[in-house]
Amino acid sequence: MEEASRINYYILFENYTQGMLLQELLREEHISSRISPAPRSIQGELGCGMSLLIQPEDIDRVRECIEKNHAEYHHIAALPCQINPRRNRFC
Amino acid sequence: MANYAEMWKDLGMDLEAHDALCAVLPTAFGDVYLSQENRPEGMGFWDMVVADIHGIRPAELIEAQKKGQKVFGTFCVYVPDEVVIAADGIVTGLCGGSQFWVPGGEKVLPKSVCPLIKASVGARLERTCPFFRIADMYVGETTCDGKKKAWEILGKDVPMHIMDMPQMKRPQDVKKWEGEIKEFAHIVEEFTGNEITPEKLGEAIHTINEKRKALARLYEARKAKNTPISGRDALLVMQIAFFDDPVRCAQMTNKLADELEQRIADGVSVFPAGTKRIMLSGTPMAIPNWKLHHIIETSGAAVVCEETCTGTRYFENLVDETKTTLEEQYAAIAERYMGVNCACFTPNTGRVDDILRLAKEYDVDGVIDVNLKFCCLYDTEGYTVEKALKDAGIPVLGIETDYTDADAEQLRTRIQAFVEMLG
Repeated sequence: MEEASRINYYILFENYTQGMLLQELLREEHISSRISPAPRSIQGELGCGMSLLIQPEDIDRVRECIEKNHAEYHHIAALPCQINPRRNRFC
Repeated sequence: MANYAEMWKDLGMDLEAHDALCAVLPTAFGDVYLSQENRPEGMGFWDMVVADIHGIRPAELIEAQKKGQKVFGTFCVYVPDEVVIAADGIVTGLCGGSQFWVPGGEKVLPKSVCPLIKASVGARLERTCPFFRIADMYVGETTCDGKKKAWEILGKDVPMHIMDMPQMKRPQDVKKWEGEIKEFAHIVEEFTGNEITPEKLGEAIHTINEKRKALARLYEARKAKNTPISGRDALLVMQIAFFDDPVRCAQMTNKLADELEQRIADGVSVFPAGTKRIMLSGTPMAIPNWKLHHIIETSGAAVVCEETCTGTRYFENLVDETKTTLEEQYAAIAERYMGVNCACFTPNTGRVDDILRLAKEYDVDGVIDVNLKFCCLYDTEGYTVEKALKDAGIPVLGIETDYTDADAEQLRTRIQAFVEMLG
């Protein structure tokens, strides 16, 4: 329950190159991020696509990093944690 | 985010149906992969490939086609990539690993065909996978009856070449396979318009050997007592190896192996000390079939090796690179591929030897012999495999499953009991 109520942030991009560049910038500043397929509910249009998954404690530093480096991205979406290893829903 | 809708439309895909697949993949990937802690940083590359799985690589293949390259879709580790690459072609694996595609396959195949075949046929006929749309030619083989009949159906929809697999491993069978490879080479030359020379074939053999060596390095790291990578992550690397560019695959896998070797030196593991080590033997797990690995690794055990076509069978043994004539090179390729121990052969004692050897090399506590439902060959051979393991004192659990979610909890209960029994 605690995990499900936790907010995760997904940063969406126009293309994966933007995503990889931002992840590199975050890595240089030792800010944790993970590559994730963008949840369908926030994609907005037909498409698979990469996003960067950010934990709530890191999001302010991520925003600062984006601003400082003028990093390109499409949108930042906040969602309740989508991850549940005991869901037993496979593809 | 990247929008590949135009590309998919140009490929003649059913966008609405495909969107349903795009909706479930992020959830499954998140549950299986992003729930893991302390994953190697190098896995970011494979995460990115999955995140854009129907975008990045398909776009690359289409660009290559615009430059005149042909794409060959394959379904088996016996089809020699070297031949295609020597003719400047591209190989992409086409085995379907999702339940999403199964109902489409069941429209033309009996229910009692394995899910891998049904999913592969469904992905093509329902137009919901770009790789199945992009491939200029499919290359089938006669490794099982289900596949043989599936090729007849697919062959009405796409150019198809079928390689006739020997059923035994006598010297005349190796010779026969060499003949099949030569005939395939002739077909590939005609289809691509490119001649295969000894120089080009030599380079292709080297390229694929380098990929095999990189994957072998990854597996070597999994032998460490402090397992530096989860079975799920290793499986993902293997699954993507089937359709990525082979040079890039080797490069990225070697980079990952560097990190894993450093982790071993630093004593970093993704599992707590004492976690039971499991080897899987049996049928392949095509992307995105992560079900059994996930259940095992969320039931207190670690998967450290797969004796499957998406495991050791894919990379073990190299093609001899010293040969300089086409005649010798085709013989060397045949020799290497006939060393793969598939249940389609009789007798198949080599496979049991492999399993016992691997169990020792990877220091496993137990083996799970897993067969896709309706895979008669592996299911039947399960008797021999399980008996050999029991005789060797290695605990074994036989499992039959498919791509559905329905048996997940039942499997979890059985696997947890098996892991507990390991002590």
